[in-house]
Amino acid sequence: MIEVRELYHSFKIGKKGKEKEVPVLKGLNFSIQKGEIVSIVGRSGSGKSTLLHILAGFLTPDRGTIRVDGTMTTSYSEAERAAFRLSTYGFIFQNFQLMPGLTAFENVELPLKLSGVDRAIRKQKVKELLTIVGLTDVQHHYPNELSGGQQQRVSIARALITDPPIIFADEPTGSLDSETEQDILLLIQSLNRTRGITFIIITHDDTVAETADRIYRMHDGELKEGGVTHAV
Amino acid sequence: MQFKDQLDFVRQHIKKNKLRVFMTILAATMGTAFLIVLASVGFGIHDTMRKEILDNRAVNEIEVYSDQMNESTVEKLKKRDHIKAVVYRQSMDLQSTISLDGFEGSQQLIITDFKEEGKVGFALKEGRLPKTSNEVVVGSHFAQNLIEPGEDPELPVTYDGELMGKQFTYQMGLYDEKESFPEETAFTIVGIAKEPAKDWIQDANIYADESIIPTLNQIYQANVEEPDGELFYGNVKMYADKLENVKTVSNALKEEGYSVYSIADQLEQIDVFFLAFKAGLVFVGTIAILIASIGIFNTMTMAVTERTREIGVMKAIGASPKLIQRLFLMESAWIGILGTVIAVILSYGISYIANMVLPMIVSAALSEEDLGGLDVTFSIIPWQLVLIASAISITVAMVSGWRPARKATKIDVIQALRQEL
Repeated sequence: MIEVRELYHSFKIGKKGKEKEVPVLKGLNFSIQKGEIVSIVGRSGSGKSTLLHILAGFLTPDRGTIRVDGTMTTSYSEAERAAFRLSTYGFIFQNFQLMPGLTAFENVELPLKLSGVDRAIRKQKVKELLTIVGLTDVQHHYPNELSGGQQQRVSIARALITDPPIIFADEPTGSLDSETEQDILLLIQSLNRTRGITFIIITHDDTVAETADRIYRMHDGELKEGGVTHAV
Repeated sequence: MQFKDQLDFVRQHIKKNKLRVFMTILAATMGTAFLIVLASVGFGIHDTMRKEILDNRAVNEIEVYSDQMNESTVEKLKKRDHIKAVVYRQSMDLQSTISLDGFEGSQQLIITDFKEEGKVGFALKEGRLPKTSNEVVVGSHFAQNLIEPGEDPELPVTYDGELMGKQFTYQMGLYDEKESFPEETAFTIVGIAKEPAKDWIQDANIYADESIIPTLNQIYQANVEEPDGELFYGNVKMYADKLENVKTVSNALKEEGYSVYSIADQLEQIDVFFLAFKAGLVFVGTIAILIASIGIFNTMTMAVTERTREIGVMKAIGASPKLIQRLFLMESAWIGILGTVIAVILSYGISYIANMVLPMIVSAALSEEDLGGLDVTFSIIPWQLVLIASAISITVAMVSGWRPARKATKIDVIQALRQEL
């Protein structure tokens, strides 16, 4: 489903004119199959977040190609990448990244609004998803009126609303307590099983990583497969 | 994103920053209202001047002179295109003596065609138009010019009785002879003409139909042995059907050898002058809108800065740069539109009050009851001005929002997502 070939990326640091190039990704080659849960584990600064940003289209790599279902996304323009993200990707962020001025319902609804879906269909789909993630009671609450776990569930519902085949989760449980963490991981596994969604989880936490079918370990800009895990 | 959802989005953001947006709208309103009210003064004065000229019913009037002017020439002139009326007034180069109930005067007798006069505004205050050759209409100041003979010339006693139905005698005479011709012509007053539009114009004339001409000619010929030319001399005033046609008619007459005078040319110059004047006022008003645009720019820049993280999230989940730009442009356009709508309503209010109050203040300052009979309009807001001001205001608002909107599209998703709540 996702095929990455010879992916290179580096950052320039230092003052203008005296910039120093720091390589972050050093020729990555890997593929992710449809319906898999894949974890990318690594320490801070290992390049895992940069990899996620490039896979998601937030960053353009220096070199290399990414193919998603045969489509080369690395040659897309910014507008094309945005449209591709809207239709193909869902995102779960560590800090939830909810819109503070929108209610839980409106936050989940937002990607459908961006897609131009009619209000009646939107309403029905959001209600269904809020029921799945167990947030029907708090649908009219604003993010600051929700617990961390509830906010992450809103974030998951928002990621699912457009029925994307791929969801990127960046430290999805990084801001949650261990009990809530387990709930969220179970929800991810359940969604993967019932909906066949491919999850790509970026984490530094081995417990979270072990939720995945496969683990990749990032170290110093290089990626190594860490083997198939047993589901939690 | 559907347009309705875009509007909702903009509305939600405006609601979140009510005070700041209100202040920006206020600035836009003041700028636009200033432009409209300022330019409306130009429109008002222009309109007053045009009205003043049109009131004199002179604007579509063409004075025509020719050595060969006579009844048949006038008939030919009437048949030309774009002509509403041709008024041919004839007078005599003789002195006249009028006697009415012992009062005397020397009012001028004018022979005219009442049908043509009626077409161009000759109206009666009382009575009717003459039906026979001995019936006349007199001017509104006819009575004031009838004086009792033998009284103190410093304190003349004028006729103040009823005029309608009264008979008076008319005698002609040469200027260089003391005695008038012995023949007296009796006339009956059947109508009194409406007062002239201008207070300073006095109308003491006697208006008679052309059917009296043979009688007067007969008297003249009986008393003057060697008549020096024609008894009657006339002046012709042509009236075009529309103001736009005055020039066409004038040019055609000039080409045919007539001497022509019309004030339409002067009016054209006035129009050109006021066009430049109004353009100047709109320019000055635009400066006020440009000052207000600084506020819009500031508000929109702050809005983008404050919402960096939200813009980042929207871009991350798939909002296109074009959509982000459009949403911010819509917000600045909304400020412009709302400011303009309020400004238009406010300007009409100010204009109404100005037209009501300013004449009173000016009259009080000049210690006169009215402005010398002048119907002055200080401010007029035509739809064209509303359209121009709206276009300027909304365009300026959108241009002010353009840079912040572009800035929003350039926001880096990764940096934005790193921002703390």
